[in-house]
Amino acid sequence: MTNLALAATEEEKMERFMEKIEKGIKIEADDWMPEEYRTTLIKLISMHGMSEIMGALPEKEWVPKAPSLHRKLGIMAKVQDEMGHGQLLLRVAEDLLKPYGKTRGDLMQDLFTGKLKFHNVFHAETRTWGDAGLIGWLVDGAAIITQTDMLNASYGPYARALHRICAEEVFHAQHGEAIIMALAEGTDEQRAMIQDALNRWWNSLLVFFGPAAKETLGTSKQDVTIKYKIRTKTNEQLRQDFFTKYVPRILSLGLELPDKTMHYNEEKEVWVYQEPDWSELKAVARNEGARSQARLNLRRTSYQTNAWVRDALAATIS
Amino acid sequence: MSEKTFYQEYEVFSKRTPSSGFQHQFSLLAPNEDMAMIMAQENFMRREPVADIWVVNRKHIRGMNEEEKLTLNRLDNKEYRTAKGYGYLKKKWRKYEQQMLDEKEIMSWGGKKK
Ligand SMILES: [Fe+2]
Ligand SMILES: [Fe+2]
Repeated sequence: MTNLALAATEEEKMERFMEKIEKGIKIEADDWMPEEYRTTLIKLISMHGMSEIMGALPEKEWVPKAPSLHRKLGIMAKVQDEMGHGQLLLRVAEDLLKPYGKTRGDLMQDLFTGKLKFHNVFHAETRTWGDAGLIGWLVDGAAIITQTDMLNASYGPYARALHRICAEEVFHAQHGEAIIMALAEGTDEQRAMIQDALNRWWNSLLVFFGPAAKETLGTSKQDVTIKYKIRTKTNEQLRQDFFTKYVPRILSLGLELPDKTMHYNEEKEVWVYQEPDWSELKAVARNEGARSQARLNLRRTSYQTNAWVRDALAATIS
Repeated sequence: MSEKTFYQEYEVFSKRTPSSGFQHQFSLLAPNEDMAMIMAQENFMRREPVADIWVVNRKHIRGMNEEEKLTLNRLDNKEYRTAKGYGYLKKKWRKYEQQMLDEKEIMSWGGKKK
């Protein structure tokens, strides 16, 4: 029976692999996969996982300052979920890293040295409670658009993780909406607070989906991820989906779009908008965003402070 | 680094109600079973109802490799083993003015005595 394995050449394995991808049969952690598929997944999933963990930090800043006990409980539950998402995704990444002998400890080090990046939206500061609401509503909203696109990803463990994650994201989206709607129905000052948050976050929200063409920044993984059916839509399609879902809602709450030229072209069925400032993406890639270093330091400190817990527990085995 | 040896991989299974079967949830890392049990609840059972949890160290699981999985493919000639292969009886029973006792009918016989 095991002779079957010996008989298959690399080309035959590749052929069988692509056949599975085309038929929609899931690839599992122990299955043979081409190097390019593995490295693409590792990059995507480790960045996604670390972004969940780093993404909990901007909102965590608002846990002590939440305006009521009810709001505090809500945002705490959300922050805990995001850490949980990080746990799930790092597990998926670790199984893929096995042939390289790497673990999450290595990924954490890569985060600290800047080799492993986290999403642009989590480098910004959260100035007001309006920002806390806006993150839940639109940053999670944008993440939901990209994550639901991968619910049927060809890699089984990632698809299953995303199913768990997206189910919780529904709560996150509604949690954000609840904060935003309360402020939108509040005083002039409160309405101004969310308009100000929207103005400051707009560029980052557009940048979040990545450039439409690889010429913008010189690199893009979108073609490879589509080829292997990890995702289905391009960066631009996802950004357009985001506009379609959220622009009408933004306007309905009496908020103004920060981009005054933005409109929907009925004929071409596309949103026409001003290109965001992509230099933001280059800056955060170097961890030079407004809060990049502060948040990395927080992560570093807690990782070091808690090292004794890991060591103490390690002593109980063997 | 301690991370290299410290963690062990556990697969987590749980059931929603006392009568349902166990379902695989996901995996996690923990230094021992007891921690794995705590982590399983933290990671996967924050909201959904749960009646029981299993954590299983991965090293105790014998899975199938890709080649072995290929041997699971069934030939499409097993109708004599399934109700589908006997569907023609429905028509025959009609001749005797009787209804066929199909799966739906038979499986409905369980439960309380009337
Ligand atoms: Fe998340
Ligand atoms: Fe979220």
